[in-house]
Amino acid sequence: MVSVSAYAQAIVLLPFVSFVVALFARDNLPKGGAYSGIAATAGSLLLSLATLAAVYGGRTVNETFYTWAVGTGAQDWTLSFGALIDPLSALMLVIVSLIALLVHVFSLGYMNDEGEEDLPRYYAGLGLFTASMLGFVIADNLLMAFMFFELVGLCSYLLIGFHFREPGPPSAAKKAFLVTRFGDYFFLIGVVAVFTTFGTAAFAGAESFPHLAEAALGGDATVWTPGNMAESTWFTIVGLLVLGGVIGKSAQFPLHTWLPDAMEGPTPVSALIHAATMVAAGVYLVARMYGFYVLSPTAMGIIALVGGFTALFAATMGVVKQELKQVLAYSTISQYGYMMLALGSGGYVAAVFHLTTHAFFKALLFLGAGSVIIAMHHVEDMWEMGGLKNKLPVTYWTFLAGSLALAGIFPFAGFWSKDEILYETLIHGLNEPLLLIGYVFGLLAVPVTAFYTFRMVFLTFHGEPRSDLARDPHPVRWNVKGPLSVLGVLAVVTGGINLVPVKKVLGIKGIDVLHKWLNNDWGGIEGLSSHHYAKIGPYESGYLFGGEAATVIAGAAVSLTLALAGLALAWRLYGVADPAEHTAKLGQIRELLYNNYYQDEYQVRIADAVRDAASGADTFDQGVVDGVVNGVSSVSLLSSERIRRVQTGIVGNYALLLTLGLTTLLVVFALIGGWFQ
Amino acid sequence: MSLLLQATTDWAFSVRALAPVLLVALSGLAVLGIDSLWPDERSLELVAGTAVAGTLSALGLSLWYLASGTGQPGGGGAIRLFSETIIVDGTALFFIAIVTSVAAMVSVASYDYLEADENPGSYYSLLLFATTAMTLMAVANSLATVFVSLEMASLPSYALVAYLKTNRGSVEAGLKYFLIGAVSAAVFAFGISLVYGATGTLLLTDIAAQIGGVGDLDGILGVGILMIAGGFAFKTASVPFHFWAPEAYEGAPAPISAFLSSASKAAGFVVAFRVFAVAFQPALGVAIDWGLLFGILAVVTMVLGNFAAATQTEVKRMLAYSSIGHAGYALIGLAAVTADANPANASVMGAAMAHLFVYGFMNTGAFLFIAMVEHWGIGRTFEDYAGVGRKAPMASLAMAVFMFSLAGLPVFGGFFSKYILFLGAINAGFWWLAAVGAVTSALSLFYYSRVVKALWFEEANGSLDALDSKPTGLYAAVIVAGVVTLLLLPGFGPVIETAEAAAAALFA
Repeated sequence: MVSVSAYAQAIVLLPFVSFVVALFARDNLPKGGAYSGIAATAGSLLLSLATLAAVYGGRTVNETFYTWAVGTGAQDWTLSFGALIDPLSALMLVIVSLIALLVHVFSLGYMNDEGEEDLPRYYAGLGLFTASMLGFVIADNLLMAFMFFELVGLCSYLLIGFHFREPGPPSAAKKAFLVTRFGDYFFLIGVVAVFTTFGTAAFAGAESFPHLAEAALGGDATVWTPGNMAESTWFTIVGLLVLGGVIGKSAQFPLHTWLPDAMEGPTPVSALIHAATMVAAGVYLVARMYGFYVLSPTAMGIIALVGGFTALFAATMGVVKQELKQVLAYSTISQYGYMMLALGSGGYVAAVFHLTTHAFFKALLFLGAGSVIIAMHHVEDMWEMGGLKNKLPVTYWTFLAGSLALAGIFPFAGFWSKDEILYETLIHGLNEPLLLIGYVFGLLAVPVTAFYTFRMVFLTFHGEPRSDLARDPHPVRWNVKGPLSVLGVLAVVTGGINLVPVKKVLGIKGIDVLHKWLNNDWGGIEGLSSHHYAKIGPYESGYLFGGEAATVIAGAAVSLTLALAGLALAWRLYGVADPAEHTAKLGQIRELLYNNYYQDEYQVRIADAVRDAASGADTFDQGVVDGVVNGVSSVSLLSSERIRRVQTGIVGNYALLLTLGLTTLLVVFALIGGWFQ
Repeated sequence: MSLLLQATTDWAFSVRALAPVLLVALSGLAVLGIDSLWPDERSLELVAGTAVAGTLSALGLSLWYLASGTGQPGGGGAIRLFSETIIVDGTALFFIAIVTSVAAMVSVASYDYLEADENPGSYYSLLLFATTAMTLMAVANSLATVFVSLEMASLPSYALVAYLKTNRGSVEAGLKYFLIGAVSAAVFAFGISLVYGATGTLLLTDIAAQIGGVGDLDGILGVGILMIAGGFAFKTASVPFHFWAPEAYEGAPAPISAFLSSASKAAGFVVAFRVFAVAFQPALGVAIDWGLLFGILAVVTMVLGNFAAATQTEVKRMLAYSSIGHAGYALIGLAAVTADANPANASVMGAAMAHLFVYGFMNTGAFLFIAMVEHWGIGRTFEDYAGVGRKAPMASLAMAVFMFSLAGLPVFGGFFSKYILFLGAINAGFWWLAAVGAVTSALSLFYYSRVVKALWFEEANGSLDALDSKPTGLYAAVIVAGVVTLLLLPGFGPVIETAEAAAAALFA
């Protein structure tokens, strides 16, 4: 039987092969490389499912495949590639490869059928993107994770800028690259800090950095800290440095500005970025090294607050957007905010749960939006749509399922996961007032989310068609409807993997599958279980109304009520035959929201402010550094010319120089050796 | 009992131990025989075939001996023959392998070069006798055998450099080589006599034993050692005995330039390594700090070779200077030796040996590419090389491999050998040698990449129709050298292990 670690390598390599094939075979491929991409991701999916089954059977992997550098002396670190297959990564492998497969299939409809050019480049990008993300998921150490994290960033740059001949996409790609790079800069310092502190960057095992950090805090191990700083303070700083990369990639405030612009990329790419790869990478990283973060209450608090704030903040901006994909972009930021809130408030399982459900319903919504865009001949303004419900039934019903999930309406997938996040935040927040602020943010975002989601649904699919295009939309084929149907079903049922509230209220055992899964009930790696995290974490639970069940019911009731209220408002305002723009009623706030709270403007202003420093550095580079380099080369060439002239061509000169050289050496060594004494 | 036969010599055993040397010598005699039996025929195929067969069989035999442990610690230790004047050990076999593989490539390549030549027999016999002498240098264990074998290698080399009798440059270069060689040989012989005067013996191991008791003669010994170092500096084209090299390499037929700059240099280094590691290591604390001497020579040679190469206009002359620069790198292997029994001694000398091994292929390949260009007759300067990459892609690709490998870019064999060498120097405490080496390597990238740029990125200046002729032998040799250079990146492990084991045996 093939080992699980062999599966893990094949899972990553298959999409990579499809990348190489698309890159080199180019025009000789049927469908521009789509088939090889589909075959590769389907293979990855099958192997991921096999891996999932293996982990279910208790077979986990934590091994190094290849050590590519070994330190010497005191810094005897090894830099290596390896795989860490545990319940978390096995689940993530399935999600990523499934979404990647569906996106490949959907691309047949979105790219091939629409007559896009240069498809091998597109499929090469998708292949590498998928491979990078899968490599990131199986990474067994922080440095490997960082490398694949960067590859993910590079691929999103390449794909967002796919239509590089138009003005928008290249600029959006650059923005995405630079903003995430800003965060990754801190991440890189964090990686170095982890190595310097612990001498290892492994995620799991007795010699892993979360474990060493835990031991150091317990006084069982000593680690390096700068200037004898208290270990807890230093761990917080290291955690926050790594968090810089997470905030950039997962588009958290204040580094979220790249994500709405990234909508310039082809829609299937947006689905991949938002649901399973780029943005998910940040949250996954926190979950991967959760054992390290839970040791620092400060870092946890910051994660929770950033997440909660982002959830509300992004949701408000989604309210006034006119373009379909823009609304979805802000909803992504907001939903990842929820996941961060969950992680920061000790809801490890809740965060992974929401990551899973969100992956399905957000991929669904993006692919649905892609389907609408195909139908509308690439018009994205919702005010040009309307009434598409009857003309695109498959798209409508699946999109509706996704929207209900996003809005958190019972019993769709999003309801369960979002409710668990809020519940975890609440019970931990009762003893930790700071978390209550996050909880309030999260709660307030619920009705806003429901409102903008259904505003989008009503404007797009309901009412009368508001343009000729909407009256006669372009039909879509199986390759669009197929992925939508799969994801539609998943958006409805995924909540079933973790029916914790039902368990707690009705007392039915065994229906909280995800909880048991992440708790290593079927096997896992020591020190990487939700139970372990809860044990070493900073939080204790408290309950309202005298009991767990009552708290569950109260929490769910409040959030569901708020969601329904938001939905009802959207229905009232936009669920009519000929909806009007109601944004004027917002008054001053409207401008603020339209301009995204002037986030871009102030970031540009900050960038401008540091321009002086940058131009100083530029002067230094051009003047001093280049000057030295140019100087060295001129001096070298000049002295070369001189040295060349020693070779006169006259053999007598040579004999003379040779003898003189020998004599000089003789005299020098005679003096050193004292031969004349 | 006579002086020469202190122990009875087992002739059959000696022949077997020295078989690689004898095979080359026999093939040289066979070429002479063919030439004498059929003096009127131009039997190019036959003599070239004989030369290739002789060198390849010697190469195969030396590799087999290396692999099976003959003469090495694992296989009974060094074999000492003829009253210890000859020694067969790991170092000797390693360098015989280098010399014979270069000679084999040069023999194959010369086939096309001599197409129009009237008397290929004389060329090949000279080449084979020079090779014989170089393999003999590798096994020499007494200053007498060292001197004789060194001169035996030099004399055919002078003739080979001047082989193009109607070419003024070739004849002039040969004469200059001979004159400088004569001066150097005088210095060398004088040095040997002084060492003999101080120690009373010519056998390397006995010299080492005698050094402790030289007493007041330490000055004599020091001068002698310095002069012997001068003789090796001539053979390895190190400053200040390098003056012959640029002109000899430039004037000689290009395959001979390849032969001299790779095989002859390697042979010079093997005797230098053996003499200084075996005989003169105890002198470090007594008579002369020859480590410092080689350190100075290494720095000056690296700097001069690389700087002078940077401003050349002709590719062959640039390579000539680059080959001087590489002698400087190999000298680090001697410069970093210290008096005490330090394991770093063997590791850095082993690294220098491994560098010479890789260098044997990449440098020979580069000169053979020049030979190919000379065969086409399209010119000698960088400009003349423009656009060749399009017409002759395989050979130009190989040339790019040689250039980047010589520069030490981390994609080919030359990277590891330089890296390990510099690392060894740093570990031995000679970081300044490594620093000079690294800086001059960076400079070397400049002039090596000029060749690649001309070949691949520049438009041809004139007609390149001459490139339609494909000289099979030259192509084969260049491609083989390129492939080996490439394979030495993954396959560097066994080379460095063999070299370091051989060096460790020298110091033991």
